[in-house]
Amino acid sequence: MNKTSNAYVLVFAVAVCVVMSTALALTANALRPAQEAAAEFDRQKNVMLAAGLIRDGDRRPRAELEQLYAQRVAPRVVDTRTGEVVDGKGPKDVEGLNKAAAKADKADAHRYRTVEIVKDEAGKLAVIVLPISGRGLWSTLYGYLALEADGDHVRGITFYKHGETPGLGGEVENPQWTALWQGKRILGEGGQLESVTVKKGKVDPSRAEEKAHFVDGLSGATITSNGVTEFVRADLRAFQPYLARVTKS
Amino acid sequence: MTATATPPAKTPLFGGDEKKAILDPLWDNNPIALQVLGICSALAVTTRLDKSLVMGAGVVIVCALANVIISCLRNLIPNKIRIIVQLVVVSGVVIVFDQVLKAYMYDLSKQLSVFVGLIITNCIVMGRLEAYAMGNPPWRSLLDGIGNGLGYAWILAVVGAVREIFGAGKLLGVQVIPQALYDGGYVNNGLMVLAPGAFLLLGIIVWVQRAISGYVEK
Repeated sequence: MNKTSNAYVLVFAVAVCVVMSTALALTANALRPAQEAAAEFDRQKNVMLAAGLIRDGDRRPRAELEQLYAQRVAPRVVDTRTGEVVDGKGPKDVEGLNKAAAKADKADAHRYRTVEIVKDEAGKLAVIVLPISGRGLWSTLYGYLALEADGDHVRGITFYKHGETPGLGGEVENPQWTALWQGKRILGEGGQLESVTVKKGKVDPSRAEEKAHFVDGLSGATITSNGVTEFVRADLRAFQPYLARVTKS
Repeated sequence: MTATATPPAKTPLFGGDEKKAILDPLWDNNPIALQVLGICSALAVTTRLDKSLVMGAGVVIVCALANVIISCLRNLIPNKIRIIVQLVVVSGVVIVFDQVLKAYMYDLSKQLSVFVGLIITNCIVMGRLEAYAMGNPPWRSLLDGIGNGLGYAWILAVVGAVREIFGAGKLLGVQVIPQALYDGGYVNNGLMVLAPGAFLLLGIIVWVQRAISGYVEK
């Protein structure tokens, strides 16, 4: 066969592509259950990290951590419009609820959201973990913001999925940076929502307002920092009715 | 160097050429120290030993498998599109490796992030395909792939170990520098955590390796 003819080159190229894509599709399919389980475990770990149940670099085996999650953390589906907990629904039903709500009113596409409640050993509400997500520079960031039971002080923050530049915007994962959020307050003196702002530059601790509501910016990642400020504020606003209810009771 | 007078049936399974294929890249013709290839990933993923080891394993596997596949196809691949065919094979193997990492080593996969995908562009892999697998039989290409992968991996492991010990005081996540030293005023070296630290280390390794192996630039 003439190996330099265009026909041969074409046939060979197509054959290589078909064989390769079949092989990749088969592996991706075979590995999907394991990948989804791993991603779900990673999500659970981040909820516990934000809530301070575990520390970064915890070396306990996976089964033990999964058990800890099952014991101490409980998901609640929240109607963000009224702030009420929807009884008898789990995280899996959220998509369906939102679709139904969006049909009635387009603005309601994200009306139902899952909150994770963390109880202390005595079974009392200790931490409320809220999902946060929004645009950074290149990607949508996904994370958790944990609030103390007073619905005001920040317990912790984590980001578990994003596509920001490693070393710049990717530093949102850096434990040294996320530690800066601990103890910040989301409510102002009058009880109104102030949220937490990622500042450009360093926080001046001598000013009470900055000390309570600002964290240091990520150098070289202004757009990611601004994005975090914005979506944290938006998500906190969405959860205000719920937080008001929880803290009152 | 492939042609020998003896008929194929009599060539030993592990003769001089095979030995050379796997041992040469470990020291005398090391891809990082002598050819100075694959430097970018060597700087980026070596902040911790476990990351370096997984990255090294990835390159060994990718290099070996791609070498074997290309070597099997070497008489069929049209010369006009050989580079693109090599690229398709390398990408395929890397994607499979990335998927396996995502399924079974999720944390590490997240930390290595783009750098696993970037094995595709690692000059060592393509270099071996073009320079060796296109002209040698599969068995020897396999050894050559493993040898070059290991030549890259051991340097990564050394850099990773030094950076983790002096940058974080740990090795594989276990504290090795005793608390007593920290109490006495010892601090972790911040330079080791940053890419320039790896750059300096690599330079020293290349220097020491060349001094011992007696390599002279021609």
